[in-house]
Amino acid sequence: MQLSRIIYLYKRMYAQQLKAIMEYNKDFYILLCSAALTQVLGFIFLNVIYNQIPDINGWKFWEVSFMYAMIFLTEGIGSLFFEGTWRLSGLVNRGELDRYLLRPVPIVLQVFCTGIGVNGLGNLLIGGVIIWQSLIHSHIHWSIAKIAITLLLLVSAVIIRVSINLVGNSAAFWIRNAGNAFPLMVHSMADLAKYPVTLFNQGVRILISTVLPYAFISFYPATYIFEKSGWSGWWMLAPVVAFGSAAAAYCIFRFGLTRYESTGN
Amino acid sequence: MRIIEARQLTKSFRQAVKEPGLKGAAKHLFAPRYIEKIAVQPLDLTVEAGETVAYLGPNGAGKSTTIKMLTGILTPSSGTISVNGINPYKKRMENAAQIGAVFGQRTQLWWDIPILESFSLLKDIYQIPEAVYKTNMNQFIELLGMSEFIHLSARKLSLGQRMRADLAASLLHNPPILYLDEPTIGLDVSVKQKIREFIKKINQEQQTTVMLTTHDLGDIEDLCKRLIIIDHGAIIYDGSLKDVKSNFARERVVFFQVASPLPALLNQLAQAPDIKLDIQGELEFSLSFDRFEYTASEIVGRVMKHGEVVDFRMEDANIEQVIKTVYDGNLDLKHSRPQEGA
Repeated sequence: MQLSRIIYLYKRMYAQQLKAIMEYNKDFYILLCSAALTQVLGFIFLNVIYNQIPDINGWKFWEVSFMYAMIFLTEGIGSLFFEGTWRLSGLVNRGELDRYLLRPVPIVLQVFCTGIGVNGLGNLLIGGVIIWQSLIHSHIHWSIAKIAITLLLLVSAVIIRVSINLVGNSAAFWIRNAGNAFPLMVHSMADLAKYPVTLFNQGVRILISTVLPYAFISFYPATYIFEKSGWSGWWMLAPVVAFGSAAAAYCIFRFGLTRYESTGN
Repeated sequence: MRIIEARQLTKSFRQAVKEPGLKGAAKHLFAPRYIEKIAVQPLDLTVEAGETVAYLGPNGAGKSTTIKMLTGILTPSSGTISVNGINPYKKRMENAAQIGAVFGQRTQLWWDIPILESFSLLKDIYQIPEAVYKTNMNQFIELLGMSEFIHLSARKLSLGQRMRADLAASLLHNPPILYLDEPTIGLDVSVKQKIREFIKKINQEQQTTVMLTTHDLGDIEDLCKRLIIIDHGAIIYDGSLKDVKSNFARERVVFFQVASPLPALLNQLAQAPDIKLDIQGELEFSLSFDRFEYTASEIVGRVMKHGEVVDFRMEDANIEQVIKTVYDGNLDLKHSRPQEGA
């Protein structure tokens, strides 16, 4: 299927979801504010720590803020545009994937468009503001190339985040409980990447750079943008990791799908 | 032309074996045990293009599992399927584009958006040309009487309305094959009638191949020429509806209205072991008999010998009774051959 057609179908199905939530979600603003509040509190906490110490392992306040905000900015984009991954367990356990399998549209695409997480908008806005501020306060020398690479890293970060979400939630094909905790556990691991990986021991570093490559969302892009010596070049792996995560996530999802049993008989 | 072809198709599910109580649950947590539950045994199935086939069986016989494999929802455990030359689980999207499916228990429509918008979304999904879409919409709205609810969202519809909308949705792209899984479940008589007429019309006008499962035998008599009965995951009968009727629907009932009471005859008939007498009133009664044992004229003649018959009418056993006997395990359609009537 052509990419333009995929994008078109995504837009069509997404617009329908948007209409539905505008009609039924009366808690729109509550969702929006609660998500934003959580992130603002975290940010204030970070600020309090940095009032006591000038830097952590050579990382300054705004640099860590950037990493911190990248984690929940990507989470925000994930919930806003790919919230359906979080509904996968419900779709599988209630047999609602049947309906998707009957349509000539890629299943992953239909899963993505299963819902819209309005709370993502809060994360997106607060995350955007903090990233913006951290870039302003860090005296970066911008060039066309640097802007382009920063955008590439941002896109890679989103792809990595969504891929990990999809893998975590694909556990639903193996773990047949309506409320299985595996995807949430995978999701919470992202908290490790809110801080420089140098804070952690070798095991954690390897984990968040390979199996669950959250560090490529926050830490490695930060080493490029803030020009940290000692990590030069590592950021180049980010697009490769993004491609690899997406491919792995797709394969795992497809494999899980062959185990799909629907309901009843 | 063979449009649906399945060879040695099987499906088994893994089922957890849990002992009752908290202890059983704890045991399962640490040492889970599973059994393979066979839903469909090696099954061969062929459907010709343009046919209407009823796929019957008691609850849990494997009907829906078969349909789900044919539609590409489930991956078979073994065996091969070809639907119009396409393997439905390997080329799911290609297959999805050429079939329509309605599952009575569950809607295919978007829950929160108006039916009309669901349809227009389907138009884009199936890439239906504008002209085809318009013609079909006009025809479906009229035939299924949808104009009064087409602007409502699926969640606001009654079951009958929802089912009509689902049926229309499944046929918007003129699929050559239509699967219906209990399409009339829980519907009132008038909606049932509408749906049956609609399916019949589509089958006749577009030569759409229809495969349907149902527990409502009215659906079958109205729609299907061929009958496939499955039980415990295996096909136990495959043949024409007419054959089943003429070979196995043996009971025939004659209702009589007579001019004056006939106590002597009734006494005599009540003694006869293979004729069942049912007295409805002083002057009305009915006799049921095996039509391979007696002919109708024999029975009527016997009554007429005793007195004046004002009126009589005859009823044949319906397919429902035959199927019930099969489900109960009292009739093997494959092996028992009906005795020729004396």
